[in-house]
Amino acid sequence: MGKLPLEGIRIADFGWIFAVPHATAWLGALGAEVIRVETIVAPDIIRFLTGTDGVVGPNRSGVFHGINTSRRSVALNLARPEAQEIARRLIKKSDIVTENFTVGNMKKYGLGYDDLVKIKPDIIMLSGTPLGQTGPSARTVGWGPTTQAFAGLCHITGYPGSDPCGIGGTWPDFAIGTGMVFFILAALHYRERTGHGQYLDLAMAEMVTTMLPEAMMEVFLNGRDPGPIGNRDDSMAPHGVYPVTGDDQWAAIACASDEEFGALCEVLRVPSMAADPNYAKLTARLANVDMLDAEVAARTRNFARDELVAKLRERGLAAGAVYSLHDLMSDQAFIDSPMMVNLRHGEVGERVVPGIPASFSAMELNYFGAPTIGEHTDDVLSGLLGYSAEEIAKLREANVLT
Amino acid sequence: MAAATTGASTEPPQALEGIKVVELPCLDTMPFLAASMAAKSFADFGAEAVKVEPPRIGAQERRLGPFRDEIPDPETGGLHLFLNTNKLGVTLDFAKPRGRELLFKLLESADILFNPNMPALNERLGIGWRELTRRFPKLIVVSITFFGTDSPYRDLRGGDLIATQMSVVGWETPWHQVTDLAKHPPLKMGGRQSDYLTGYGAAGSALAALFHRKQTGAGQHVDVSQWLSMVSNMRPAIGMYSHESKTAPGYLRFDVRRKGGAQWVYPCADGWVSLSVATERFWQGAKRALGHPEWMDSEMFKTPPDRLAHLDAIEAAFMDWLSTQTRQQAFEKNQGEHVPCFPVYSPAEVADNEQYRARGFFVEHDHLAAREVKMPGAPCKFSRTPWRIKRGAPRLGEHNRKIFVERLGLSERDVAQLSEERIV
Repeated sequence: MGKLPLEGIRIADFGWIFAVPHATAWLGALGAEVIRVETIVAPDIIRFLTGTDGVVGPNRSGVFHGINTSRRSVALNLARPEAQEIARRLIKKSDIVTENFTVGNMKKYGLGYDDLVKIKPDIIMLSGTPLGQTGPSARTVGWGPTTQAFAGLCHITGYPGSDPCGIGGTWPDFAIGTGMVFFILAALHYRERTGHGQYLDLAMAEMVTTMLPEAMMEVFLNGRDPGPIGNRDDSMAPHGVYPVTGDDQWAAIACASDEEFGALCEVLRVPSMAADPNYAKLTARLANVDMLDAEVAARTRNFARDELVAKLRERGLAAGAVYSLHDLMSDQAFIDSPMMVNLRHGEVGERVVPGIPASFSAMELNYFGAPTIGEHTDDVLSGLLGYSAEEIAKLREANVLT
Repeated sequence: MAAATTGASTEPPQALEGIKVVELPCLDTMPFLAASMAAKSFADFGAEAVKVEPPRIGAQERRLGPFRDEIPDPETGGLHLFLNTNKLGVTLDFAKPRGRELLFKLLESADILFNPNMPALNERLGIGWRELTRRFPKLIVVSITFFGTDSPYRDLRGGDLIATQMSVVGWETPWHQVTDLAKHPPLKMGGRQSDYLTGYGAAGSALAALFHRKQTGAGQHVDVSQWLSMVSNMRPAIGMYSHESKTAPGYLRFDVRRKGGAQWVYPCADGWVSLSVATERFWQGAKRALGHPEWMDSEMFKTPPDRLAHLDAIEAAFMDWLSTQTRQQAFEKNQGEHVPCFPVYSPAEVADNEQYRARGFFVEHDHLAAREVKMPGAPCKFSRTPWRIKRGAPRLGEHNRKIFVERLGLSERDVAQLSEERIV
């Protein structure tokens, strides 16, 4: 296994909550040295979201550990000018700065892009905010799940004709973090070619809207506002989530052709349905989709979930069990996937946490467990930034390093 | 083709100029647009992306709506116009030996290949990743598949619905409106979110492999799974699960929102808004935004755990207040106190929104086949090397001559012959 692609790249990471920490988890796994700057005075709320074995504490959060892999932590109370100066010294020695504070906060600390280019001309800085750094509504607060409402996704997510629905998985935070990886690496590629850094202004809402081409192009081509269509699809039927035996158990089935529909009918033991003129052809199935879904559901009810899914897969159909968290964590293929890694954490020891969803044939990714808050303050201040032990003690006494 | 901005020398540079990408079409009956999104990401930031399409029928997105006036047309469909900006388009049947030979010729000078086909099919066609990395040691081969090439599920078919529902994201949606389990099954998001998420992840992974090649000179195989890409949304929940194994065996769909009460959409006087009062700071801000109503001082709601325990009462009280507010009022009052709150906008409202307009997000260009086209623009604003459209989506086979004759050195006669044999 060879060297990692981002070895030698240092990231001063001011990000918190979900999106930016997910991006830097990718970059850390790829070999970048990620230094997370944070403070217990205004902590990342994620550090207090859930604990370990029933006990909550800043260094016990499973949610935090699940996201903040492959980084070190420096405690800096940025409200203090001395801490801002330390941050500037860190950035002077860094290649990339990431942050997702409210618009204007970094500037308030003397850490805006305009300030930083003066001390590090080729710095790459990425700011992630709900609606971007400019425009009449720039000064908004919010994380992804509230922001996506503004971007159009909420409106098209729901059952046919239903009200808009909230979305799970803290969508779109992780999609945005994933996009940030590409944007940062693109800027880094450019810097390596030309020596120029730059500023990346990412508006979460805009990125969400780049992921809605079906709906946005309907507006632009036809002036029509699409509504929610549940689990359905305009080009496939059946395409949905169907009940099986047991309480709140479901199987997801997507038939992408007439042949696949025929195979579904055989598995459901109603081969005649495949020849029924109401259903035989895709156009007919789409026209009669309410009736079709009811008929399919009436049959799937007689099957146990995993048995039905296995039979459908045997026939080459796209089918899957609808997973709860417990179901996912019981799926051996997932547990064995390279995404699941066993890492050590300062206060709670070894736990299995998820890494990034990509693997590379020529590289072993660099995983280590999320840091306790300020775990590497002394290391970074003395080793990297050249502060003496006396200076560090003084700064600590003055509550700068908390 | 043609954009307003074709290659003028005053244009700013682009970040990924000089990188050569080849995108293969998904040959499955299941729509799978991740590779198309990945190659678009490269092309829109300046890389050369050659989109290989099956002769005559073209890539999947040409056959998927929306279409203008709902009349299917492979040249003017909305998904094609959006996903294929800045790409060069060639047609090639690489299932035929002569077609595969041409594909190999194309790959000789490529840096990155995005292949969205299943491993068994690739192996049957002689384009499995082992074969390709052996033949082209500098090439970065990115497999973008439903379940990954190394999983016990490698031969299973998936797609947006399956990936969403096997990732728990579907289980948690709708976040808080499940009142009847039978009537409110787990739900996927509108559009093809998992395709696009997977596409962005594949693009980032490909660039990572390119950095590796800069250091070592060697290409490699990058394995991107749509299922695991969707599962990455659950990193917090999976972390929670492994730390609270004794107390958190899962949860009922009714109770999803009790995990944090963080993300709500609620009806107001003229529509819906999203609102979060999940933290102490947001709760205090909301107090000011609502004008210090008495109910918010109740002992019931004193601490965050108290509030989590009385989520239903809070919900009802906020809905009372919201019923007297328009979306705009709720947005301004809450944001004025730094409380996350946004209007729920429809796509048509997004298209006409002042904030998006002020930032020039939607872009317009002339397209030979589709006339004037407007679409979502930059996913991120780069100060020095901006995203832009230099060329609209290609017509089917538009760049066959440019690539096969000018680049690969075939004669016009060869191309005509290949066209007759339906290879090109």
